[in-house]
Amino acid sequence: MYVDPKRSAEKSIGNIRWVVPYCTPSWAKAVVALLLFIIDKILVMLLPIMAGMIVDQVIEAGMTERLAPLAWGMVGVTLVRTAARYGYQVLMERFGLDALVRIVCDEYEKLHTLDFTYFNHVRNGDIMNRMTADADGIRNFVGWTDYQMLDCICLFFGSLVVMFGIDWRLTLALAVVSPFIFVVARAMSKRARPLFFGIRQSLAGLNAMVEENIEGNRVVKAFAREPYETQKFDEHNQDFMQANMKQARNTRRFMPWLDGLSYSLQLITLVFGGLLVIDGQMTLGTLVSFNSFLWMLDGPTRQFGWLLNEYQRFNASCVKVRRLLAATSRLDLDAKDALRVDKETVAQQQNSAASGEAVQQTNATVAAPVETVKPVSTAASKLTKLANLAKPSTAATAAAAVPGPDEGDSMADAGAIDLSTAERIKPAKPVKRELANRHMAGEVVFDHVGFTFPDDPDTPILDDVSFKAPAGSSVGILGETGSGKSTMVSLIARFYDPTHGKVLIDGVDAREWPLDTLRKQVCVVMQDTFLFSDTIRENIAFGASQNDDCYIRQMARIAGADEFITAMPDGYDTVVGERGVGLSGGQKQRLSLARALADNPSILIMDDTTSAVDMETEAAIQRHLKELDGTRTIFTIAHRISSVKDADQILVIDHGRIVERGTHDELVAAHGRYWEIYRKQLGAQTADTGYDNRSDRDEQTGKED
Amino acid sequence: MANNRNAARNARNAQRNAQNEARNNAARSAQRNTFKEDEELEEQISLRDIARIAQYLKPYGGQLVVILAAVMSMGAIAVATPYLTKIIIDQIIPNRDKPGLFMLGAAFLVMILVYEALLAYRTVAITKVGQSMLMDMRRDLFTHIQKLPFSYFDSRPHGKILIRVVNYVNTLSDTLSGGLVNVISDIFKLLLTLVIMFAVDWRLTLWSLVLVPVLVVWVRFIQTYQRRAFQILSNKQSNLNAYIHESIAGVKTTQGFAREREQYNTFVDQENVVRHQWMKSRYWMFLMWPGVQNISAMTISLIYFIGITGFAGVDVTTGTLIAFIGYLNNFWTPVINVGNFYNQLVTCSAYLERIFETLDVEPEIEDKPGASRLPAIRGRVDFNDVVFRYEEGGRTILNLVDFHVEPGQTVALVGPTGAGKSTVVSLLSRFYDVTEGSVKVDGYDVRDVTLESLRSQMGVMLQDTFLFTGTVRENIRYGRLDASDEDIERAARAVHAHEFIEELPDGYDTMVEERGSTLSAGQRQLIAFARVLLADPRILILDEATSNIDTRTEEALQAGIAHLLKGRTSFVIAHRLSTIVNADEIMVVDRGQIIEHGTHDELMAQRGFYWRLYESQFAMFKAEQHEEA
Repeated sequence: MYVDPKRSAEKSIGNIRWVVPYCTPSWAKAVVALLLFIIDKILVMLLPIMAGMIVDQVIEAGMTERLAPLAWGMVGVTLVRTAARYGYQVLMERFGLDALVRIVCDEYEKLHTLDFTYFNHVRNGDIMNRMTADADGIRNFVGWTDYQMLDCICLFFGSLVVMFGIDWRLTLALAVVSPFIFVVARAMSKRARPLFFGIRQSLAGLNAMVEENIEGNRVVKAFAREPYETQKFDEHNQDFMQANMKQARNTRRFMPWLDGLSYSLQLITLVFGGLLVIDGQMTLGTLVSFNSFLWMLDGPTRQFGWLLNEYQRFNASCVKVRRLLAATSRLDLDAKDALRVDKETVAQQQNSAASGEAVQQTNATVAAPVETVKPVSTAASKLTKLANLAKPSTAATAAAAVPGPDEGDSMADAGAIDLSTAERIKPAKPVKRELANRHMAGEVVFDHVGFTFPDDPDTPILDDVSFKAPAGSSVGILGETGSGKSTMVSLIARFYDPTHGKVLIDGVDAREWPLDTLRKQVCVVMQDTFLFSDTIRENIAFGASQNDDCYIRQMARIAGADEFITAMPDGYDTVVGERGVGLSGGQKQRLSLARALADNPSILIMDDTTSAVDMETEAAIQRHLKELDGTRTIFTIAHRISSVKDADQILVIDHGRIVERGTHDELVAAHGRYWEIYRKQLGAQTADTGYDNRSDRDEQTGKED
Repeated sequence: MANNRNAARNARNAQRNAQNEARNNAARSAQRNTFKEDEELEEQISLRDIARIAQYLKPYGGQLVVILAAVMSMGAIAVATPYLTKIIIDQIIPNRDKPGLFMLGAAFLVMILVYEALLAYRTVAITKVGQSMLMDMRRDLFTHIQKLPFSYFDSRPHGKILIRVVNYVNTLSDTLSGGLVNVISDIFKLLLTLVIMFAVDWRLTLWSLVLVPVLVVWVRFIQTYQRRAFQILSNKQSNLNAYIHESIAGVKTTQGFAREREQYNTFVDQENVVRHQWMKSRYWMFLMWPGVQNISAMTISLIYFIGITGFAGVDVTTGTLIAFIGYLNNFWTPVINVGNFYNQLVTCSAYLERIFETLDVEPEIEDKPGASRLPAIRGRVDFNDVVFRYEEGGRTILNLVDFHVEPGQTVALVGPTGAGKSTVVSLLSRFYDVTEGSVKVDGYDVRDVTLESLRSQMGVMLQDTFLFTGTVRENIRYGRLDASDEDIERAARAVHAHEFIEELPDGYDTMVEERGSTLSAGQRQLIAFARVLLADPRILILDEATSNIDTRTEEALQAGIAHLLKGRTSFVIAHRLSTIVNADEIMVVDRGQIIEHGTHDELMAQRGFYWRLYESQFAMFKAEQHEEA
């Protein structure tokens, strides 16, 4: 991370202050740009003077010999000035772009540290928007609007000084208008802020809707719901237009006043100046030269209104980006400290969250609900794996509530509470470095594990789950849809952390393992198969350290995928789509299994991985997996008895609890739920093979291979 | 001469046709595109694209004329005020004419007021026209994309589609509405100034235009490179976007494999490519302004020189010269603006190209002209010697598939993965068109009826459960939009989804999100099931629909939907034989052909492929039996 994401959560930090650390590494560019900028501004002042000299000296005084040098001088000055301007424009563009890249990189990194809960609640299209359009809004400000504003300010004050030198009375008369300009500009800007935020939100909504439509295009077509989708789209489309119109109406309300006030500077000069000249208190020449500087004053004031709009666009973008960066992962690197902090700060956090909400409700600018999960037990900012793991995770800020869209004065209270909570957290102890390089044997112990989702703390997903899987053993998990099987194995890879009890891997709490090391050695083949749009080879080699063709093929063979891959026209070089849509369900599952195997994990978790694979192939896969026996701990979630039957230990889960456990034989003998399922599957499948259920009891298994 | 020109034009046309054809072919060959690959580029700035934009302007023609009138009036005021200033300074003040000063001051004030009133009007009117236009364009893109076949979505990263509908269109916003109107007003100002300049002194005016050809050359020069740079940039941005999109969609996988660092590195590489290309495009873009400025400065110096030295017989008074220089300054401001607009246009053309390219993708599957509505069907299905290939000359996916299903029959399709089972049912819903032969529903060729009437009578449960962001209720209602809450509950009960839905924190009002959600895969499948049943289709297609559902639920579900299947023709693809054995007809598909069909008993008696499949799947149980024996 370029900048500690904690800063993004800090409400006391204004957007400009927030963006500064993203820009500072490129300070040299800004300094050179500033120098060039100054050169440009000086030369720009020189041009009218030279033009004046031509008029005064050459035309009036008849010194024609000066014409050529002055004329060439003007051309030369312009050349230098445009070169300088080109230089600083390019530098500032790069400056803004650098900041953009840093911000987007941070967003990208942040994204990958967030736990699954975040993705369950924030839509992909919305995240996408924050990494593209919103980040670009920031770039535009850093790389363009800021120096335009500086330009305006310089011109404005520079011309004021010069004009004051020419005639102070007239300048004062003009200065009378400026407070009004200021008041109007401020009013416009203040009202524009939530409107720009509204535009951003609306765009995000539009983006998310379209994204979902594209993702779900098969369903849309299957139901012939194109008109309905179009209608949904129209609403978003219309909403986006209305958001833009609201902003335009706000501009209409104020901009003519701003522009008119600037325009009136000319009028004042002419009338008031004219009177002064007529009354003999000023020469006509003075008025003329005063008038020639007027454009320097009224240009910037006119432009300033538009630039303020740009500034508010920047603010709106910042809010969106900061929310992503400030989102809290509920996984923390250091469990014990987090737990200790938990008790101390829970009350505080609730307090701060409550006040945060209150503030947001009263704050007119808040257009959207805060989207993170409720403030939960663990601390806010987790150091990422990419950051130095050995570094003490002092990042534990309790600013779990995300900054509201407005971090103005009204937010000060909430911010203060957050800070005080943050201070209470003791620096976490260093992550155990030795664990980082340790090879995992693969022993898994669940010690009275309970889990609830933060948005529904009353419904336990897992309840007091305890079991032990020795290294190299296999565990089969059976249970009804929604009984908590997937959640259970997710705890091993730490996609979630348990809310009660602990998960021990090789005797060490999973939360103590460096996340990177843990996930490198624990591999989950998920129900929801995701393949990257890349070749099959690259997809299988995704997590692998080894990626020679032989190895890849070997893994594909084990997963029962080699056959259909080689049958494809491009074999292993066939490109598959994002969700692997060009493949059948069973093919996708086998590819993702091959990918997991290639990762060579110590713990392999197969979450309903072979559900769409035909039984013949599944049997083959199981045979192949046997070859790996003892080298890794394997968890198999399945609905088919055939998939779990050979496991060293079978767990039957119901409503988050283990209701039965044992080997196949034991469970069959127990005549419990497992036996029931077994009978049903067997009964259905062997209805006409004359198979007799009585033989269940004392059979010997495991030798058929 | 004329012949030559015609020949040249013909040659050009031929070339363009060839290019188009090549492009179409490339698109048709279902070539897959990844985030790493650039899309093709056109060499020349296309005037056709610009002309197409005019279509979007058309509906707002009237409003645009009014806006243009307003903007021109503003331009006229902007040109007139320096003139007013000139009168005050040259005549009123030297004459010490106070009433005149106040008179003109009042006139000035009126002009300001009119100007600001027009500004107020313009601000809103332009936004309205511009945004409406973009809205139309976005809508066209969206509705067009709805018509595109699966292969379009399957063959490119979704991020690349998304960026076209939303981001690219937004980049056009400033240029197309405000930019266009302003440029017209700028041209108007330019002409006005030119007229005044000619009136003041025509010889000086001609002299001041001497460098205009240089400017034209300069602009053309920059444009060539700038356009190229922006084309490449749009491509790289598209790649980056695709990568970001994929990263977001695949974040769980990345986390699961602890591949964050590698993904991050790829991302940074992509980001750097874009940064590099962005700067390149800016190097060219920023050159426009210095060119205009320098030419302006040279022109002014030249005019001073000519005016003062009386070069080439030019003879002007001092007053005229100063006034002339003043106008000359006014002359260059609009030129810069026009130049900037041109700049923007060049930028936009790169994006426009992408947008129109998307709009030009032919929807392969479309209603025939004059396609009739498919009347309420009974459910007879005929496949007549169907041959299917994804692309011309490609691999044959289905080869002479021929079968006939009576209304109300249940047909099970079995066979190894990739045999073509899913393709068979895809042809039925007309997700693809047959290459040879025909698919008929109740005797109607599916190609002769409207897609909407066909698909709305067919319920498809896909392998891949997709739920939309919204409540559980809304997701089920997707099956039939006018369904009442009771209907929804009934459907949920029928598929045994009601129980778990009731247990969710907010019951039917629990929010579900796209793919990731707190629902398990099986639960999502059950919801999708309810969704299909609510649609009450005559023909039901279950494509591995129950793979993630546990035995107990499936059993209950089977019982529950048994009566729902009654009266419906249904196609079932499944691996569990329990789902298959009771089918009226079982068809074994292998390598794109139906190699066996019949009831379970018939097929078992045949001792063919099905029998082997069946046997092998019970190897486990068989083994036990043998041991028992």
